[in-house]
Amino acid sequence: MPYQLPDDRPNFAERLYVPEVIKGLGITIRHFLRNFFFGRETNPEMLERTRRGSLNATLAYPEEKVPYPPGYRGLHRLVPRDDGKPRCVACYMCATACPAQCIYIEAGEYPDDPIEKYPVKFVIDELRCVVCGFCVEACPKDAIRMDTGEHAPPTYDRAGQIWDEKRLLRGPPVSYQYDPWLRRGSPAIPAEKLEEMRARAKPFRIVATDEASQTPGFSVRALAQEAKERGEKK
Amino acid sequence: VGSVLLLVGLTAVIVVSAAGLYWLASLGAGVAVGWGLPASYGAAVVNMLTLGVLIVMTLGAVLTVAERKWSAMMQDRLGPNRIKVFGFSLGGVPFLLADAVKMLTKEDTRPAARSHALFILAPIIAFASALALVAIIPFGPIVKVGDQAVALQIAPIDGGLLFIFAIASLAVYGTTLAGWASNNKLALLGGVRAASQMISYEVSLGLALVGSMMVFQSLRLEEMTLAQGRLLWGAIPALGIFLQPVGFLVFFISAIAETKRAPFDLPEGESEIVGYFVEYSGMKFGMLFLSEFVEIVVLAAVVTAVFLGGWHPIFFEQTIRQALEGSPIWWGAVAAGAFLVKMVLLCWLQLAIRWTVPRFRFDQVQKLCWQGLLPVALANVLITGAVVLLDGSLELAAAIGFVEIALLLIITFAAARAPESDRRGAAHVAAGH
Repeated sequence: MPYQLPDDRPNFAERLYVPEVIKGLGITIRHFLRNFFFGRETNPEMLERTRRGSLNATLAYPEEKVPYPPGYRGLHRLVPRDDGKPRCVACYMCATACPAQCIYIEAGEYPDDPIEKYPVKFVIDELRCVVCGFCVEACPKDAIRMDTGEHAPPTYDRAGQIWDEKRLLRGPPVSYQYDPWLRRGSPAIPAEKLEEMRARAKPFRIVATDEASQTPGFSVRALAQEAKERGEKK
Repeated sequence: VGSVLLLVGLTAVIVVSAAGLYWLASLGAGVAVGWGLPASYGAAVVNMLTLGVLIVMTLGAVLTVAERKWSAMMQDRLGPNRIKVFGFSLGGVPFLLADAVKMLTKEDTRPAARSHALFILAPIIAFASALALVAIIPFGPIVKVGDQAVALQIAPIDGGLLFIFAIASLAVYGTTLAGWASNNKLALLGGVRAASQMISYEVSLGLALVGSMMVFQSLRLEEMTLAQGRLLWGAIPALGIFLQPVGFLVFFISAIAETKRAPFDLPEGESEIVGYFVEYSGMKFGMLFLSEFVEIVVLAAVVTAVFLGGWHPIFFEQTIRQALEGSPIWWGAVAAGAFLVKMVLLCWLQLAIRWTVPRFRFDQVQKLCWQGLLPVALANVLITGAVVLLDGSLELAAAIGFVEIALLLIITFAAARAPESDRRGAAHVAAGH
């Protein structure tokens, strides 16, 4: 509902103009002095910065970044099992759910396992992706996540934005107690490894939690940094 | 803490370099005497190089970077911060070099249908007339260095302030010719706006200083500065701003209008007509741009000399003078340092005003001048004349000045409006927000 804006005539001081300019100058100078005498806060925890001294709230972007909130839909990853193979069973649920049709899957079978399938090819075209997150919702195996906290990194050619299963398969492994390869055992997994995986498996969750959508502390950049420290090459 | 150290260090650098200026001037005077010429010739030539080129032009150039950095501080931004030398930003000074390289190496495009001679002449006039104003500004007192008595002033001429009016009104030719010679409608509009605005403000600019001329009984800036060293009632220095607060206000406003910067930046009007320099590129544009900043520096210097006591350090002046009795060059350096510090502060104030006050409409600019500043300046001339006739000791003028300053402060801080938020909040409630 519209309401009447106050229609006030300027009073004497305002019509003189100079007093108002002096007041305005006071505000400008206050800001200047605070920013001049107090340095900008450089606390690396951006969210804990206050503006007690300097009023400057700018983040020097490439050097300083605000962490994204949990649940932020970043670059996809294929979640690995503890033995390094993808959790994905090539069921095509994500490719079917994808409104942008950017997921391409070719299914294959493990030669020694009569039941389990796996993706021979799993390709996501990040240029076509609309970052809706439907693929994550659709996945029955928690095998695809968008928890990297990263954008797709920029490339000079379009081919660089086509992510295949080799680049997508990263990050901390996840195992659940309901996983069929854990309950039933798999010829592809050695017996002692299987015991270890069963011991580490998490119980099945019915309610989605933050942990399901985001692995804390995981990011492509952090992984790359760790790899660099270990002295690995690309 | 770093900022405080920086300020103290800068002041020290200014004082030491002022001593250097005095030394150079005395050197020039000595050389002139050696050649059989009057000592003042040599000092004038050296002062022209040191004060005109070194101090004023450097300050003007630094202001172009300082404006970006300071405006960032006023608006809670970071400002330019990409150039770093070995990881240090050096206060943004490397941007100066980058700007200079860019201006000098940029292609110098020229419109085909320009008027050839005027197109080149315009930036020269604009820049030269701004720089020529430095000639009569007394940066420091007359001090005996070695055998020669030298002052940091290029030309102590009788005309004084009249020279300022004459040369300052020449500056309008630079902008108007630039607008005309570009053969561009928008540039012409900018030039015409500049002409009408600057001619209008020339009137109030001149009348505002008439009061000061009457109070100090002189046209010469160095004599005005000396007169401001007197004490009123044996305690307060007779600064021009105390004797002529209204004159100061009118002069300062008119001076900002003369520099063609916001809130009076109608000749430029970046968003609508681009301005009189729309067809200029490269260093020709650089000169038009730089002349604005040189004008800021020069006007700050004039205001310092006429209204803020010139080279008088104001605080502890007698103590400093007695302490430095034996070495006149250092007394001169401290005094000249005081002048330069006041000048830089005024430059900063002009930039602060430029980033505070919103722009005028063109009719408001003219109305402010002809209906606001001009009558006030005329009344100031009349009242000052009567006061000086009644009481030659200036104490009556100072008393009236203090009353005027007090009135302005009372109006500014006491007659505040009822807080806006209550009413607006009530309106929100009434509207069901």
